Amino acid sequence: MKHSLTVTLKNQSVAVERFLRVVRHRGFDLTHFQLNLSDGYYELDMTVDSDKPIYLLTTQLAKLIDVKQVTLQSVPQQQAM
Amino acid sequence: MTGAELTIDLLAKHGVNEVFGYPGGAIMPIYDALYGAPVKHYLTRHEQGAGFAAVGFARSTGKLGVCFATSGPGATNLITALADAMMDSVPLLAITGQVPTAAIGSDAFQEIDVLGMSLSCTKHSYMVERAEDLAEILQEAMHLAQSGRPGPVLVDIPKDIQLAQVPFHPWLAADDYLPQLDLNQVAIANQLLSEAKQPVAYVGGGVQGADAQSELMQFLEKTQMPAVSTLKALGSVLPDYEYDLGMLGMHGGQAANLAVQECDVLVCIGARFDDRVTGNLGKFAAKAKVIHLDIDAAEVGKRKPAKASLIADLKTSLPQLECFVTPQPWRDHTKQMMIKHAWRYDYPGEKVFAPYLLNQLSQRMPKTGVVCCDVGQHQMWVAQHMKFTHPSNHLSSGGAGTMGFGLPAAIGAQVARPNDFVITVSGDGSIMMNIQELATIRRNNLPVKILILDNQRLGMVRQWQELFFDGRYSETNLSDNPDFVQLAAVFGIPGQTITHANQVDDAITALVTSTGPYIVHACIDDKENVWPLVPPGAANDEMMTESAK
Repeated sequence: MKHSLTVTLKNQSVAVERFLRVVRHRGFDLTHFQLNLSDGYYELDMTVDSDKPIYLLTTQLAKLIDVKQVTLQSVPQQQAM
Repeated sequence: MTGAELTIDLLAKHGVNEVFGYPGGAIMPIYDALYGAPVKHYLTRHEQGAGFAAVGFARSTGKLGVCFATSGPGATNLITALADAMMDSVPLLAITGQVPTAAIGSDAFQEIDVLGMSLSCTKHSYMVERAEDLAEILQEAMHLAQSGRPGPVLVDIPKDIQLAQVPFHPWLAADDYLPQLDLNQVAIANQLLSEAKQPVAYVGGGVQGADAQSELMQFLEKTQMPAVSTLKALGSVLPDYEYDLGMLGMHGGQAANLAVQECDVLVCIGARFDDRVTGNLGKFAAKAKVIHLDIDAAEVGKRKPAKASLIADLKTSLPQLECFVTPQPWRDHTKQMMIKHAWRYDYPGEKVFAPYLLNQLSQRMPKTGVVCCDVGQHQMWVAQHMKFTHPSNHLSSGGAGTMGFGLPAAIGAQVARPNDFVITVSGDGSIMMNIQELATIRRNNLPVKILILDNQRLGMVRQWQELFFDGRYSETNLSDNPDFVQLAAVFGIPGQTITHANQVDDAITALVTSTGPYIVHACIDDKENVWPLVPPGAANDEMMTESAK
C-alpha cells in the first residue's frame, strides 16, 4: 500500500541519509522523493510502499533527532492505530 | 582552549570522571589533553573492550559511559559496542578521532566514514565540521545519550578541530519533548485492570532506564499481580516478591511462560515483545488484552497490538494504574505452577552441575554484587538460577547477544563500583573473544572475579545442532582450548580448575573471599543443555524439557 508523507528535517549533513536508512530498514520502498531546502530545513515529499502498517514507519521516523515533523498525507482507515 | 582541551573539560563538567579507550594518530590531541587531567582514562587492549567497559560502567550505575577511539579501525572496533548499547538502550558516548577536515574524502590513512557506519547503531551521531560547533555538539550528545529512551551517541572529531582554538558556549538543553499521558488511555487501562481475572505484569528493561524499581514494586505489592521479567529486567522485581515468576521466553521458566499464555490482561512495563520473549508471536498471550507502558511510542504496536498505551516515563505512568488486588484463585494457580515447575539442583552425577554452582554462588555472594555475562548457555543459566536485587546488578547482552561482552563489562562495572563484588560468568567460547582485557584487570589491579563454565564447546550452538540439525556438530568443538588457569596466571591472576561436584563449594569460597582478581575454571559436561527451551516457531507453552526432548 502506498502512503504519502511530508517531513521537515534539520539541514544537517547526514540527516537525509539517516532518514532514508530508517525507511529502508523498516521495510518500506521509496517510490517518490522530492527534497527542498528552505530556511535551514529540508522539506521532504515522499511516497513509500509496503505491506506493513504505516505507523510502524512514522513512529520510527518521528523519534529521529533531526526530524522536526512527520505528516501523513493519506491514512487508509483500516491502518489507523 | 583547544578543541581537545574543551572535550576533556566538558566531560569533567558533566561529571564524567572515568573514560575507557585506546589512543591512535587521529585522536592524539585528545589524549594529550587527557595527560594530567582530572578525568581518569582506562586503557583497554582493544577498542571493543573500551566500548564494552563503558557499557558496563553505564549499566552498573545508570550514568553515562564514555569511550574513546582513533579513526579508521579504532572506530570500527567500537561499532559492536555501539550496536549492543543501541539494542539495550544504554547511555553511551563514543568520541572518535577523525583525519583532518581537509583530508576527509581522500581515502587518507586510517580514514573511514565512521559517521556513515554509525547510522544504524546509534541513537544519534555527529561529525564536527566547524570548530565553533564542538562545544554545543558535545553537550547535546551527552544530553541525548541519557534523555528519553537512553542510547549510544557518537561524536567524530577531525584532528584539526581537536587542535583548533574553539569557543565555549554553554548549551542549555531545550525542554525535552515529554509525551503527555493520554488520560483516555489511562482510563481504558484501568478499566481493563478492573475487569482482569488473570493479569500478569511483563517487566522489561525500561524499569532500569526510568529508575522506576520502587514504582514497580509499589504497584506489584498493592496488586499482588504475578510478574515475569525479560532478561534485561532481571532484578527489577525484588527476589522476595511472592509472585515473582522469573524470566519468560525461549529459556524462561515454565511457570512464567504458562502464566503469560493463560493470562487475560498483560501489563507490559517497559518491554518490547522481543522474539526471544514471545516465541510464536501469533500464539503469544493470545487471550490477553495488552496494556503497554513505554517511553518510546515506536514500541507500542510494533510487535503486538495494545488495547491501551501509556506513552511516558514509567515513573509517571506506573502510578497512574489503579491497584486492583489480583483475584486469589489466579494467584493460587500461579503459585502452584511455581511449585510444580521449580528448578531442581539434585543433579545425580559427579560432574560440576552449572545450575547448582550458579545458584550457590548467587546465595553466597554479596547481594549488592554485580554479575556480568557473556552469551550462550552460561548466560541463560545465570538468568535462570541467580537472583538479583536490581537490574544494575545483572549485566547481560540482551538484544544484541554479543559474545565477548562479559569481561570488559565487568571491568567497567568494577571501575564504577570499586567497593562492590563484581564477577563475570563466561563460557569457554565467549571468554576468548575479549581475553586481552585480562591485561586491563592486571594493569589496574581490579578485583574482578571470573567464572568460566567450560564444556569445550560453543555450547548453545552445539545444543541447537543436537536438537535441530541432526547432531551435525559443525565447528562447535573447542576441545583445543588453552588452559585457562595458566592463561590467567600469565596476567598475574590466580585461580583453580574444578572438575567434580565436590569441589564447587570450595571454589565459590575462593571466589567470594579473594581480595583481588580470581578465576575459577569449571569443567562441565559437554552434553549439558539449557532447559526448558521453546523451539523455533513454537508457542511458549510448547516448551521442550529435558525429560521430553
